Amino acid sequence: MIVFDMGRYRGRRVRGRVILSLSLVATVIGLFFLAMILGTLVFRGAAAWSWALFAQDTPPPGSAGGLRNAIFGSLAMTAVGIVVGTPIGLFAGTYLAEYSRESKLGQAVLFVNDILLSAPSIIVGLFIYQLMVANMHHFSGWAGGMALAILVVPVVVRTTVEMLKLVPNTLREAASALGTPKWKIVTRVTYRAALQGLLTGVLLAVARISGETAPLLFTSLNNQFWSTDMNAPMANLPVVIFQFALSPYDDWRQLAWGGALLITVAILCLNIAARTLAHWSSLRS
Amino acid sequence: MPELVRTPVMPGAVGDSQMTTETPPPVAMAPALGEKIAIRNLKFYYKKFLALKDVSLTLHDKRVTAFIGPSGCGKSTLLRCLNRMYDLYPEQRAEGEIVVDGRNILNPDVDLNLLRAKIGMVFQKPTPFPMSIFDNIAFGIKLYENLPRSALEDRVEQALERAALWGEVKDKLQQSGLGLSGGQQQRLCIARAIAVQPEILLLDEPCSALDPISTQRVEELIEELKNDYCIVIVTHSMAQAARSSDYTAFMYLGELIEYNATEIVFQNPTNKRTEDYITGRFG
Amino acid sequence: MVAQAEQPSPATLKGPQGLYDALFGGATRIFAAAVLLILGGVVLSLVAGSIPTFRTFGLGFIWHDAWNPVKSDFGALVPIAGTFVTSLIAMAIGIPLSFGVAVFITEISPTWLKRPLSVAIELLAGIPSIIYGIWGLFVLAPFLQRYVEPALIDTLGQTPVIAPLFQGPPYGIGVLTAGIVLAIMVLPYISSIMRDVFETVPPILKESAYAIGCTTWEVVWNIVLPYTKVGVVGGIMLGLGRAMGETMAVTFVIGNSHRLAVSLLAPGQTISSALANEFTEAVDDTYQSALISLGLVLFVITFIVLALAKLMLIRLERQAGR
Repeated sequence: MIVFDMGRYRGRRVRGRVILSLSLVATVIGLFFLAMILGTLVFRGAAAWSWALFAQDTPPPGSAGGLRNAIFGSLAMTAVGIVVGTPIGLFAGTYLAEYSRESKLGQAVLFVNDILLSAPSIIVGLFIYQLMVANMHHFSGWAGGMALAILVVPVVVRTTVEMLKLVPNTLREAASALGTPKWKIVTRVTYRAALQGLLTGVLLAVARISGETAPLLFTSLNNQFWSTDMNAPMANLPVVIFQFALSPYDDWRQLAWGGALLITVAILCLNIAARTLAHWSSLRS
Repeated sequence: MPELVRTPVMPGAVGDSQMTTETPPPVAMAPALGEKIAIRNLKFYYKKFLALKDVSLTLHDKRVTAFIGPSGCGKSTLLRCLNRMYDLYPEQRAEGEIVVDGRNILNPDVDLNLLRAKIGMVFQKPTPFPMSIFDNIAFGIKLYENLPRSALEDRVEQALERAALWGEVKDKLQQSGLGLSGGQQQRLCIARAIAVQPEILLLDEPCSALDPISTQRVEELIEELKNDYCIVIVTHSMAQAARSSDYTAFMYLGELIEYNATEIVFQNPTNKRTEDYITGRFG
Repeated sequence: MVAQAEQPSPATLKGPQGLYDALFGGATRIFAAAVLLILGGVVLSLVAGSIPTFRTFGLGFIWHDAWNPVKSDFGALVPIAGTFVTSLIAMAIGIPLSFGVAVFITEISPTWLKRPLSVAIELLAGIPSIIYGIWGLFVLAPFLQRYVEPALIDTLGQTPVIAPLFQGPPYGIGVLTAGIVLAIMVLPYISSIMRDVFETVPPILKESAYAIGCTTWEVVWNIVLPYTKVGVVGGIMLGLGRAMGETMAVTFVIGNSHRLAVSLLAPGQTISSALANEFTEAVDDTYQSALISLGLVLFVITFIVLALAKLMLIRLERQAGR
């Protein structure tokens, strides 16, 4: 029988308890910052919320106004980003999940995709700048939308691959046994089975690009006036917040907080929607 | 509930071990000669489900006791009560008494780490730690003792010798434990368990993941080890129980159906259900 | 890797269906290749835009510490140093915090609390970086300026060896502040990878350790961590890659100074903050090319880090699969 060295044992026990309480402290710190950030956001942003926010355009310094043009611009460019990026992501993801079978192309694409997912978004802005803005000799909403599209693609590829993998093979086999051609199996059977999951991917992509500022800084730039011309610089929430928050004017700063709260609420709602959708689809299957 | 019987205290039977801090364990019910673990009216719950129904039996020191029974009968559950392994899972709890050396180990103020130093366990699948073979054994020893390097090396060698593994690994002690074969890994786990010098060894289907030759070697090992430890083995192989154990407990649906010396259980069972199980009428 | 064990493969069909099949399959392949093209395009455009700068300054551009748009004298040292230092601070603070959160959620937290806690921490990941930026500027920086930085200057700024790191007037903004904001930003990423990876440890292995009398911490440190070390490192590198590429959170609080300073309390510059602040002002080609070259450097650095992270995580997936 080991002669118990109680001193040694007590030391082990104390050390263990101390370190584990540190991990509690770390969790509390994390939650504290979360509460702090959200709290500040709500506190300062809510003060700016009013009908004017949605009804009026961005004002010159020193006067009151709203964010209407910025909201529109963001919505428009997000729409462009989703419309362009989703099909690319969907088809690429379909290739990886349904056709690739560990081919070299498939492995390379998956690898590159995950890198694009975490790559600095400002680089994407640079790329589109050189591709579109430099060649067109002006900033534009289209350029902004395309930059966002590039950010959408990796998100949609990832979720498409994961969702399609979840569709049981028996479903595909049953369709194949009926003599269905592969493209119909994929579009009519597999897509339909994974539909909620694929939609979740789109929602997540929207949430992802909603707050992106860096890629828009030199593609769509900004526009103080109301404009629906996608072929010209376009107002958008993130860049407006950037500009207004760093300014010395109180009205502008107020609007910046209001816009920040707006974006965060939108993203939270999108995330909740995505989770609920994923939950429903897993309940049904 | 049996009366409190005071029997003459045998040297080494009571009191060496300290499962809690300094106060010596009160002699609540001194075990009879050779008895090591007294299980009394044990009930076990997975949430609301009653998995062990009023189990009572006594396990003997320096003997091998086998728990047998069909899947789901509660034999592993019973084994895991003996070192309070279920404590890791909040939805599992036990009621009743398990008295080891005069102390009820189900008592909430029993120190679990010290308890588990006294009661070792080997699992169904070999589970070498992600470290070298030497460190696998040394790890447990270092938890409890501060030995100089040479003494530590001796202890590691002793443990591996007792587990009949020394010859095969003495030249590759720094290699990862994961590089050994399944049978060797399991013997490594046994060496690891006995390195901390427990008094009781719990073996939960130790050969179920092993090939027949490795199984045989482990069984030979158990035969040797029983001279020094109280060994409890859960097995789904009746042949193994018949070969290796001195006592056998047959369980069914959470109840202890029959418990006796192995020859009696296998050749002359008193309960019909035992007989049916032994003769293979149900599995 | 996407494992399709037994995907049914209909025989090649004749007639129009066969054609549609080929078209559809081909289309998916083309779009998959498009992903590679995007990366290729990014690399090409960055390289093309950087050529003038490297032609003028050569490789010395990377450690040249001037930044003078008027004289067209550019060097990447200050932004690169800023990127590294802020990321290092972010890791120094973020890794222990993430580890603590991951350990708490997997080993200590009661079962009913695990899910809500995980969701809460992931909310931090959903907050866009510009929010971190303005919060950092208007809440964190004044707080640091008033309470923390003076204390640091008085204590650590006086201790030998590390004193030069904590000198200077307490601006509130600066390299240290940027590092702290980045730490909070990478916390959810690193901790959620750590959590996922900790949960792959087979319970029977942990039980073996408990069975010889280990405390919970001893099980984490001696069993869980070594078992998952590849995944943990992969997660950390992923966090590092994100920290280095982060733009908006940093731009608000770093102070945008092109002077190379030793003190962590001084304002500085990262590659992305330089790009964010100056790209639209860069009217002449040399200036613009210098900035694009910065972008190329950033891309190369983050690509290497992210590629390494990905390789490690792939290795872990294979290990867990066995």
